[in-house]
Amino acid sequence: MVVANRRTDKNSIMTTVPYLAGALILAIIPLFLSRYGQGLMTRFLIFALFAMSYNVVFGYAGLLSLGHAAFFGAGGYAVALLKLHYNVDLFWITAPFGLLLATFVAALFGIVALRVTGIYFLLVTFALGQMLYSLAWNVKWLSSKGMQGITGINLPDLGIPGFSLDTTSFYYMVLICFIISCILLYRLVRSPFGLALVGIREDESRMEAVGYNVWLYKYTALVISGAFAGIAGVLFAYYNFFVSPNHLGIATSFLPMVMAIMGGLGTFLGPVIGAAVFIFVETFASIFLPQRWPLILGGLFVLTIMFAREGIGVYLWKIWEKVSHRYGIVEG
Amino acid sequence: MESLRVEGLSKQFGGVQAVNRVTFSVEVGDRVAIIGPNGAGKTTLLNLINGQLAATSGSIHFFGKDVTALPTYKRAHLGQARAFQIISLFQKLTVMDNVLLTLHGTRSSRFKMFRPIEGFTDVHNKAVQTLRTLGLWEKRNEPVSTLAYGEQRRLEIDLGLALEPKLLLLDEPSAGLTKEEGLEIIGVIKGLESSNTVLIVDHDMELVFEVAQRIIVLHYGEIIADGTPDEIESDKRVREIYMGLD
Repeated sequence: MVVANRRTDKNSIMTTVPYLAGALILAIIPLFLSRYGQGLMTRFLIFALFAMSYNVVFGYAGLLSLGHAAFFGAGGYAVALLKLHYNVDLFWITAPFGLLLATFVAALFGIVALRVTGIYFLLVTFALGQMLYSLAWNVKWLSSKGMQGITGINLPDLGIPGFSLDTTSFYYMVLICFIISCILLYRLVRSPFGLALVGIREDESRMEAVGYNVWLYKYTALVISGAFAGIAGVLFAYYNFFVSPNHLGIATSFLPMVMAIMGGLGTFLGPVIGAAVFIFVETFASIFLPQRWPLILGGLFVLTIMFAREGIGVYLWKIWEKVSHRYGIVEG
Repeated sequence: MESLRVEGLSKQFGGVQAVNRVTFSVEVGDRVAIIGPNGAGKTTLLNLINGQLAATSGSIHFFGKDVTALPTYKRAHLGQARAFQIISLFQKLTVMDNVLLTLHGTRSSRFKMFRPIEGFTDVHNKAVQTLRTLGLWEKRNEPVSTLAYGEQRRLEIDLGLALEPKLLLLDEPSAGLTKEEGLEIIGVIKGLESSNTVLIVDHDMELVFEVAQRIIVLHYGEIIADGTPDEIESDKRVREIYMGLD
């Protein structure tokens, strides 16, 4: 659990280098990519953010939620509905609205789902997510005419005269949102609140005994997580140009879970690595084996669980630790 | 001054009366031990006092305040600290994180979300001081699971004390320890300031008779004796039931 280890007294270069290198790569790489590649990177960032938000609840607080797509989808639907019914494209209106709607949905879910724990929490969040899914499926106001879902979404309007987004600049906009979210989440998990979530995951009754209102922490974590999932959803709607009931339901709820587990649960960057691997494999497997790509992903997931149970991110980190020690980048 | 008052306290699990109309009170500075054979209801009683379990009937007052319906964390804020029977430190977390979590629990800083946990200087200094006193400073970045059993027990009790509690609840503090470690724990408890109020539940007769000024004997959830160690030792019923003598 090296990535989760805060405050190692080792040289801080060792922890800073991968972050800086990552940010640099993300900033430069689109210059060398086709529009298709840029789109793929955008998709990766959006799902990385979604998986990170999920990690707060599952990885840190230990709450296994199966309804996280509801918050993601709420963000996406907020964008789509504003476009469909009010023809609003302005990012500064749609994004806060999506964020608020997702937060509101999470706040409602939390009140119901946190009355129970463990497997029942999983079932209740699953059921709540499916309720939104069927709502989106059945209510006409929530769909474009004659469709299931909402089409006709364009890239957002940033309200800057003479400037409109294209694939490349949209990527950078998503990157900025991603980095800001990363900084906020990073501070969150390293605060007393963040450590308290880990304490709750490890032993609730001890946390109660030393003075923590466990319910309130779980609830707050769920709402915050919902807000970040909502941001990911807003960006996703603009990326995908289309939202459907599926984006609220179980099929989408599984994605951040699989990504977080594959990358490294409860570690800060694990979900990002997980999302990268997931999107990369999904894309290439679907190009080369259009019929069988879920099989490849499933196989990879099983292999990860068997051979790198702590997550690919943790595994990579350990390699980095060895390399950095061997070549004297850091004093051991 | 009265610290704790328990009146007619009962707890029923289905058909089992685990604690039955228990009444006693504890003064500030008292060292009280609760003893009794297995299944006498000792740990249940401690769980009721600390709020892990809700009472079926009866009341609990803590410094004059009725806490019968308060959740555990609020009782912690009022000044109850507890060391558990089964070591319940966060095994996977580092020693330092364990100390920090415990210290933040009763401070308003516990809900801060935007400042790194190292940034709370007073709490951090207190944690450093606690670890140095315990001789665990060198191991601060190791997971608690790597500490010896005795070290963990010591850490747990000292964390309880670091909260400067008004009432320290110790559930079998010497369970699982070697003789030497047990003696060390006795030393820790005897070394407490006289203003500390301690309620101990334990099997270990040596420890109980060494540190307690008063002993309460539970049997099938009822108090059958309550007195000084000398009185308890000579109590005929206690000898019959608890010490297995006839």
